[in-house]
Amino acid sequence: MRQQGKKVDGLRFLPPSLKAWVRTFIPDEEFKGPIPWTPLRKPLNQTIISLVTSAGISLKTDIPFDMEREKREPVWGDRSYRTILRGTTEKDIDVNHLHINTHYIRQDINVILPLGRFEEFEREKIIGRLAPTSYSFYGFQWKNSDFLEQSIKPISERMKREGVEAVLLTPA
Amino acid sequence: MGLAARVLEEAGLSTVVLTPTYEFHRAVGIPRSAAIEHPYGRPIGVVGDREGQRKVLLKTLEVLEKAQKPGDVWHLPFTWPEEPKGTDWQPPEMSPLIKFYLEDIKKARQAEAEKRVKK
Repeated sequence: MRQQGKKVDGLRFLPPSLKAWVRTFIPDEEFKGPIPWTPLRKPLNQTIISLVTSAGISLKTDIPFDMEREKREPVWGDRSYRTILRGTTEKDIDVNHLHINTHYIRQDINVILPLGRFEEFEREKIIGRLAPTSYSFYGFQWKNSDFLEQSIKPISERMKREGVEAVLLTPA
Repeated sequence: MGLAARVLEEAGLSTVVLTPTYEFHRAVGIPRSAAIEHPYGRPIGVVGDREGQRKVLLKTLEVLEKAQKPGDVWHLPFTWPEEPKGTDWQPPEMSPLIKFYLEDIKKARQAEAEKRVKK
């Protein structure tokens, strides 16, 4: 399955000006530093999996991600996160993100946070289990890594408490 | 998202990032990437297309299972059914960041055009 001939063009959907700008942030060379690595320890059908998206999804009962401050401070992005329990559907959520059209996620949460599909995989024994909790944070973090301490670290701690072994991440 | 994956791997979790712009791996060092040529905001597929979404996710899970070394990038063999212009993925209003950097963005395009002419 490795490549099947296709080479993805990750800038294909950007208009020409944005494409040129984004290219200025991508080095020509491969990444050379160390990369952390945890091998998958069990077959998938025994593995507990959680999902994380950066799409700015919150529950209707949550405080939504802060778009107003970002409008005032264009290089600031909300650093918080929300927990999304299994069984959540598009009917239960709000989506706030100033860099994508959120319309599609509001129609079908599975286009970016595939809770429904993973519950199917659990029933079909393709995966061990979908964890009780999945997560959303807000992907626009411009030259800032505070969200790692404020969101991703507490997310990882809750995952460990819930016995999670593997994570699918879906950027917006 | 690559940085988040790194933190999760350090915490002892295996990760895979289903990424619409895998090229950022070169800047960040992402542990496992499944590169997908889908528009932003819908990496898994079309609204309501259960079968299509399953295919993308099963291939992504294969990357989780079979990637052998840190920094592996697997290109998934899927093609979006619409041309980029028809996907309507951009927000209804230009984002604050793009407004803020509009001049830089125009200059980047101009610089690329000039580079092409020189070639």
